[in-house]
Amino acid sequence: MIYQLSVPAAVPGVEEIRILEWHGEPGATFENGDLIVELETHKAVVEVRAGQSGVLRAILADAGDWREIGVRLALFSDSAADDMSAAEGDAGDLVVEFDVT
Amino acid sequence: MSNDQFLTTRMFFREAVGRAVREEMEADDRVLVLGQDVGAFGGSYREFDGLFKIFGPERMRDTPVAEAAAVGIAAGAAAAGLRPLCVITYMDFLMIGFDALINYAAKLRYKSGGRLSAPLVVKTTAGAQGQGVAHSQCIEAWLISVPGLKVVAPSTPEDAYGLMKSALRSDGPVVYIDHKRLFPAPGNVPVAETVIPFGKAAIRRRGVDLTIVAHSYMVRVALETAGLLEAEDLSCEVVDLRSLAPMDVNTLCRSVERTGRLLTLEEGQVTCGIGTEVATRIFERIGVRPWIRVGALPAPVSSNPVLEAACVPNADRVAQAARTLAAR
Amino acid sequence: MSDALLPLRRMMLIRAFEDALAARKDHGFQLLSTGEEAVAVGLSLVLEDGDQLLTGGRSIGPALARGVDPGKLMAELLGRVAGVNRGRAGRGHLSDQESGFFGAHAVVGGNISIAAGVALERKLGGGNGIVAILFGDGASGAGGLYETLNIATLWHLPLLFVCNNNQLSVSTPREASNAAKELRDIGRAFAIPTALVDGLDVWAMAKVAGELVEHVRSGKGPAFLECSSLRLRSHSTTARETRSRDELAQLHKLCPIKLESARLLTEDQITNAGLEEMRADAARQIEDVMAFADASPYPEPEEVLAHVE
Repeated sequence: MIYQLSVPAAVPGVEEIRILEWHGEPGATFENGDLIVELETHKAVVEVRAGQSGVLRAILADAGDWREIGVRLALFSDSAADDMSAAEGDAGDLVVEFDVT
Repeated sequence: MSNDQFLTTRMFFREAVGRAVREEMEADDRVLVLGQDVGAFGGSYREFDGLFKIFGPERMRDTPVAEAAAVGIAAGAAAAGLRPLCVITYMDFLMIGFDALINYAAKLRYKSGGRLSAPLVVKTTAGAQGQGVAHSQCIEAWLISVPGLKVVAPSTPEDAYGLMKSALRSDGPVVYIDHKRLFPAPGNVPVAETVIPFGKAAIRRRGVDLTIVAHSYMVRVALETAGLLEAEDLSCEVVDLRSLAPMDVNTLCRSVERTGRLLTLEEGQVTCGIGTEVATRIFERIGVRPWIRVGALPAPVSSNPVLEAACVPNADRVAQAARTLAAR
Repeated sequence: MSDALLPLRRMMLIRAFEDALAARKDHGFQLLSTGEEAVAVGLSLVLEDGDQLLTGGRSIGPALARGVDPGKLMAELLGRVAGVNRGRAGRGHLSDQESGFFGAHAVVGGNISIAAGVALERKLGGGNGIVAILFGDGASGAGGLYETLNIATLWHLPLLFVCNNNQLSVSTPREASNAAKELRDIGRAFAIPTALVDGLDVWAMAKVAGELVEHVRSGKGPAFLECSSLRLRSHSTTARETRSRDELAQLHKLCPIKLESARLLTEDQITNAGLEEMRADAARQIEDVMAFADASPYPEPEEVLAHVE
């Protein structure tokens, strides 16, 4: 199954974030609790952690890029063999947890 | 000539402020920053991130909680030849520093017969954001009546950058006002070094039916209002004052002459407010036009979210006022 | 003239200057320093050219002691364009930084933090100039003093706090306006050097102020000097006198000029004729000062908008 990671509405009032750092490249496997990406708001860093296991398949916004809340940042799948051709359409949301520091 | 003059880079409001301060500190060793938590901590809003490492504790100077003395020391240092940026965390606290700012710095050039001046910038942060009656006020209208004082209030990161640079080059004193609700939004800032002169308003949206004049965060509310009213076939021009003293009366007059109606919008009180001054300056020059003013209700701004929202203007309230104005 | 007579000569000039000003119908609103001349003169004896002095509103004596040109000062006080600030600052706000008088700011206590800012510039500039801030006992109740003492101590600023305790804040006795036993105790709270000096004795003033100036100039941070003096006139040229004639008569016996004159006579450093000549010199100088000021016009009304921005 294919999953999408979108910019979370982690901090009230924030409409747009900057991608600070990815913690894995396409092909990397994430387990529950692993740090995927750090996002930057005007005053905080949002650490996005996997809430389920999965494989990072595609990164859609590089470090330094700006994205608005809800915009897709990356695609994941259950296994590295999953067909990604359906990813253009709907994908389920990856379960994530985030810490705001 | 490079293409840099057309390139922009996207950054947070605080980064635009920080860039301006860094560039001016690099260019002029008389510039220094003083205020609470401006040193290694990087400022209450992280606007000075990284500057402590570059400039050290002498020029990024933490003060105790003592606004009266902080403004006084900055004013005295300015009079003696430095160019201090004095940071007051909330605009409400600037009241504590009024003697040095208003009785001393703003009058120094005048009272000394031009022999002394106080090139001092006070940077402060206004606006309501859940912090209550003494941490939310917009008192810029008090300041623009002081001869000798310049007052600017940007609404975008680009203006924050360009106006801060002008402020630090001004022979002052200048009060530079940020707004808490402007900080989350990034904006595009020229890559090339640019300075925005004082006394120049900016037309943020063209319209034909009425002119909304606002500054700081209320420019965003004005633009939101204009968007709402477009669907009702009511076309609003939005003018961002940017500089409150001096005020760009020419641009204001031209806009109101075109649209024929004036809506003044501010987050502070309307009594003796910025809007009243804007309207008076325009009407003194071009004659009276239909005018309506919107601002905070005549009450303190509570930290209670319901009462705070009820007190300060939002797009619905502004739109209602605009409809009333358009019907005149 | 020998150095031994210099302080008395300077005190006499201040007295003659202020008396002549007060005698004018057009003197305006003035705060005079009669009885406090030894504080200004003693302090100024130990300040150097590169130093700056700031004061509250009782500025005339200190400005003269620091070396501001008497003619330009009188012109300033009388509102004439030949004044140090084109006649627009007046007693409460005059400044002449080239003479080492950075200025008065007549909001009580308000100039103390300003002085610390000037001291910060001195410190960052790397020179050995220091700043002295002269304020009254009335200012010792104001918050700016404490905020500034704290920061000046934390930052080791080259700032000498000089409290001219003339015993009265308008009508309020010193004991009723500050809870400290001695005003120097305010400085003790910040663990900086403090001293209490007889502010009626110009030589004691110079000696004790000199010790603290040396400390401040050496880069060790601020110091606090309390000078016990007397105000022999009412608070201002428009304020009611709150003391009885008898009380004032007793106090006049402690006039610093009388005390210094008597000391010089006792020690045979001057004769009565010499004293008389010194007084006559001062009077002649003040005649010239008045002539200079009176020869200068008031500003044109059109000047009202000059130097606002």
